[in-house]
Amino acid sequence: MPDTTAGTVWMRRWVERSVGLRDAFLVFVVGCALLEVGARAGLYPPYVLPAPSAIALRLVETAGLMWGHMLTTLVEIVGGFFLAVVVGVLLAAAIVFIPFVERGFYPWLVVLQVIPKVALGPLLIIWLGFGYLPKILIAFLVAFFPIMIDTMVGMKSVERDAVFLMRSMGASQRSTFFLLRLPHALPHVFGSLKVAVTLATVGAIVGEFIGADEGLGYVLIFANGSMDTTLMFAALIWISAVALVLYMVVGAIERACLSWHVSQRSGAGAA
Amino acid sequence: MAAAASPDAVRSDHQRPQGDARANAVVADAVPHVRLAGVGKSWQRKLDTFVALDNIDLCIGRSEFVSIVGPSGCGKSTLLMVIAGLIASTHGSVYVDGAPVERPLTDIGIVFQRDLLFEWRTVLDNVLLQAEVRGLDKAASRTKACDLLAKAGLAGFESRYPHELSGGMRQRVAICRALLHECRLLLLDEPFGALDALTRDQMNLDLQRIWSEERQTAILVTHSIEEAVLLSDRVVVMGARPGRIVHSVAIDLPRPRTVQVREGAAFGHYYAEIRGAIEHA
Repeated sequence: MPDTTAGTVWMRRWVERSVGLRDAFLVFVVGCALLEVGARAGLYPPYVLPAPSAIALRLVETAGLMWGHMLTTLVEIVGGFFLAVVVGVLLAAAIVFIPFVERGFYPWLVVLQVIPKVALGPLLIIWLGFGYLPKILIAFLVAFFPIMIDTMVGMKSVERDAVFLMRSMGASQRSTFFLLRLPHALPHVFGSLKVAVTLATVGAIVGEFIGADEGLGYVLIFANGSMDTTLMFAALIWISAVALVLYMVVGAIERACLSWHVSQRSGAGAA
Repeated sequence: MAAAASPDAVRSDHQRPQGDARANAVVADAVPHVRLAGVGKSWQRKLDTFVALDNIDLCIGRSEFVSIVGPSGCGKSTLLMVIAGLIASTHGSVYVDGAPVERPLTDIGIVFQRDLLFEWRTVLDNVLLQAEVRGLDKAASRTKACDLLAKAGLAGFESRYPHELSGGMRQRVAICRALLHECRLLLLDEPFGALDALTRDQMNLDLQRIWSEERQTAILVTHSIEEAVLLSDRVVVMGARPGRIVHSVAIDLPRPRTVQVREGAAFGHYYAEIRGAIEHA
């Protein structure tokens, strides 16, 4: 495609997106205005629902402090997420290709999945202390299962005839994996990554609830202890922003890797 | 009208002692390229045994173009996969150049009904998959791939992705992929089944043209009697439940054949004969 058309297409998309965002922004503004009026008219006490202006002010005041807590939480989320990607994909490949792993380990992985990971939190704190490690581990535990399952599905759902084709070319198991199964599984893998990155956020925050002295989850619990609802809202906004940005980063990587896939063609731009 | 021979009569042409198979390999048709001896395939099901193929005997000469037609579910495709060594037979043996087939044959070109192009590869890279898996010389394969694509009317599409192509174009790419290495045996599993009638006609003519250059031994599984008669030296008719060969017709029409051949009387006779054989199977 010539550059000029590509450029126009890109611009048109951007404009379309902005139009979509304009409506979303409109709803946001009206919502804030209603809440502001409600708070100022004294319809409910400010410790239940603080005025949006108060939250905004608090966000500005605490920005420096929050930034530091945010970095802590970010490290935990990203650490847990990466661990989940590596372990999830490797386990999936092992389960698909090594019958013993499927028979011996897969049932236990399912058992692990049905244990509420939050319930494991206190145990992890005893084992690993109050540092990054238990939070990363909880984030990992929550996030790896969907990655593993979707990768397995992706690798198994290769058509029989495609495998036949590879065999008739004399392809080894190894080259069948790298040339066919892995790329074929990628759309599934990326689908699960979007789910996993939000789950990892939940895992890290919950880990901080259980025992931490820094991080956005810690701020939330701390604010809760002192009935500082405004600070709680500020922390919530930070957490949501982190989750949203991470989601968009995964989405961008997906678009870059899967330009060939149906889900990424014009008009299907999800994010 | 060319005589419709019984399977036995046709086979007698090719049935020679196995011993001189290699010695006479240069003499076209002297030795069966592919020989099936009592091939059977059955699956154990919960309550009974499903017989997909029953006692199939077939000889295919070098450079012969043979089509296998028959009703749905008669095991045509299974038979082709057994010949390719991709599905193991439960009875009998398949011999290629006199050697029994015990593992997937790798010096064949194979085309399936679904084109099976890899969506993440460009057209050229899809054709070059063959070279990549086999570890063939890169530069030479590239030249050959571009050449094949050009012959298939796909010049200029090398760097496109499969989703940008029509069904017919995609299947052409799949055929180019099957032809990239020098294969002696071409196995075609309903390659044009998913295409519309006009595209199909064109693909048939193109396949005939490409095949006539190298004259590989070709086995085509198809639902279309017209396609079978148009392309083949011989059409083998299979019956269903269990899958078996019920008839064999040598097609004696001059090549190259055009679409107009189908309007001739001889073509009509062949068509009627095969049609009758399928219905009475």
